[in-house]
Amino acid sequence: MNKYIEIFKISYTQEFAYKLSFIMWRVRNVIQIFVAFYLWDTIFYFSGRELFGYDRSRILSYFFGLIFIKALVLSARAQDVAGDIARGEIMNYLLKPVNYFKYWLVRDFSSKTLNIVFALIESVVLFLIFKPPIFLQTDMVQIAFFILSIVIAVLIYFLLLFSVNSIPFWAPELGWGGHFLVTVIIVEFLSGSLFPLDILPYNLQNFLSYTPFPYLIFFPLQIYLGKIKGLVVIKGILVSVTWIIFLWYFMNRIWKSGLKAYQAYGR
Amino acid sequence: MVDSKFQVPNNRYHINVDHVIKFIRRSNYYFKIWVLMSKNAFIMIASQKMVLVIFLLGKVLRFSFFVSFLYFLVQGAGNLAGYTTNQTIFFFLTFMVIDTTSQFLFREVYKFRQLIVSGDFDLVLLKPANSLFRVLMGGIDIIDFITLPPLYLATVYIGNLLNPSLMQFVLYFLLILSGLLISTAFHIAVLAIGIISLEVDHTMMIYRDISAMGRFPIDIYQKPLKTVLTYFLPIGIMVSLPSKALFGLVSIDGLILSFSFSFVFMFIALKFWKFALTKYTSASS
Repeated sequence: MNKYIEIFKISYTQEFAYKLSFIMWRVRNVIQIFVAFYLWDTIFYFSGRELFGYDRSRILSYFFGLIFIKALVLSARAQDVAGDIARGEIMNYLLKPVNYFKYWLVRDFSSKTLNIVFALIESVVLFLIFKPPIFLQTDMVQIAFFILSIVIAVLIYFLLLFSVNSIPFWAPELGWGGHFLVTVIIVEFLSGSLFPLDILPYNLQNFLSYTPFPYLIFFPLQIYLGKIKGLVVIKGILVSVTWIIFLWYFMNRIWKSGLKAYQAYGR
Repeated sequence: MVDSKFQVPNNRYHINVDHVIKFIRRSNYYFKIWVLMSKNAFIMIASQKMVLVIFLLGKVLRFSFFVSFLYFLVQGAGNLAGYTTNQTIFFFLTFMVIDTTSQFLFREVYKFRQLIVSGDFDLVLLKPANSLFRVLMGGIDIIDFITLPPLYLATVYIGNLLNPSLMQFVLYFLLILSGLLISTAFHIAVLAIGIISLEVDHTMMIYRDISAMGRFPIDIYQKPLKTVLTYFLPIGIMVSLPSKALFGLVSIDGLILSFSFSFVFMFIALKFWKFALTKYTSASS
């Protein structure tokens, strides 16, 4: 256990080694929140009514909530796994007495810790700038489900990221391509990080609810905002847990066959 | 002997034919270099077909997702800052035309940092071609080359649905050119910052994030952000003004304003580039 605590500490320190890189990543997040805030504020200013099941305070809370959820769920280091495999550097880890999955999970947690600290600071600053009406959830059951859904989202994203980043076992040149397609394009649009998925037609929403993507951002925020309750929440949690089991199994399978196919190029 | 100076009767203006011929020859020379470098870029990508397919699929998906989002959003809300669904989509398409054309032409900018930190920029400076041309336009983006024709067609199709007059279309076209000039100036400034700070990638991403604010009509932003986006970081002039011209909301004054901004920005960017060159230390070479 101690070695993982040390990995956490080293990884946390390492984040500060690339200060500019980290600051730019946070600046980009803030810019995206600015755009989303103004877009939705304009829509509600002009329409002056409830739209897509949101009032002004709920929709602005959705985008303020995004700052935290993205820091918790989408900030991860496991995207570097593809580079490790493509460059042959994974051999260094396989020879050490550490579990490679746990190693990256711990590094993810260190990244999330740092990001959440900055997300808190940014939220205060943005709150002071915009002074938006914020919806505060007071129902303890909803809050408990919200926390559970965040844990599920973190695990789904980790497993998804790890699976996608295993592609270089077979095609080293596709490392960034696979990551770009799945975690940059598909996750960005289908997770609800760009817009609440309720604006989509019902059939499309229903279809997406059986994929893992809405459970990363949209589902936790729906629970927090009280837009879904009771059985709908439980159904969502069951579907997302099923995805964790499937992705865990899938990741293990491709990891095992990937290691068999791996020829340690460059070593 | 051919008289190299053609003089008009009133002697107020004269055109130096030698200069014109020299300019045409020089342009032809750079065009040949550009074609050669573009061929090289194509060969490099063609050797990795799966990479090409994945990135192409990614770009098509991102485009389709975003248009769908805009469609469902404005359909549900009724309008966006007073603009209809087609107009909102047209704003996005115009942004894409300027952004994708810039990416297509200036993809080499993303590789500039490596030239600087390795000192290989020395080799560019020693060649008998303009160094700025080489680092700015040294390799096209093949994926954007494939996506540009359908993007232009989609823009023409949606633009046609808005029934513009000939004057509105001409203004739109000229403002697109002006927008591309501003985008070029931004890219030159990023290169200059790269020489001074050794930082290119993040500056470029920040530029892209800020310019992406122009995916929506600039009218959705409130003051002071709207003022900043119009006059200091002229994203509004670069990507929103052309669309407004097509809707008949911009007069000749807007065109003059846009070109004034683009020439001033280009002038500042070129001066900045020249200044940055004096700071190049040739480290690591």
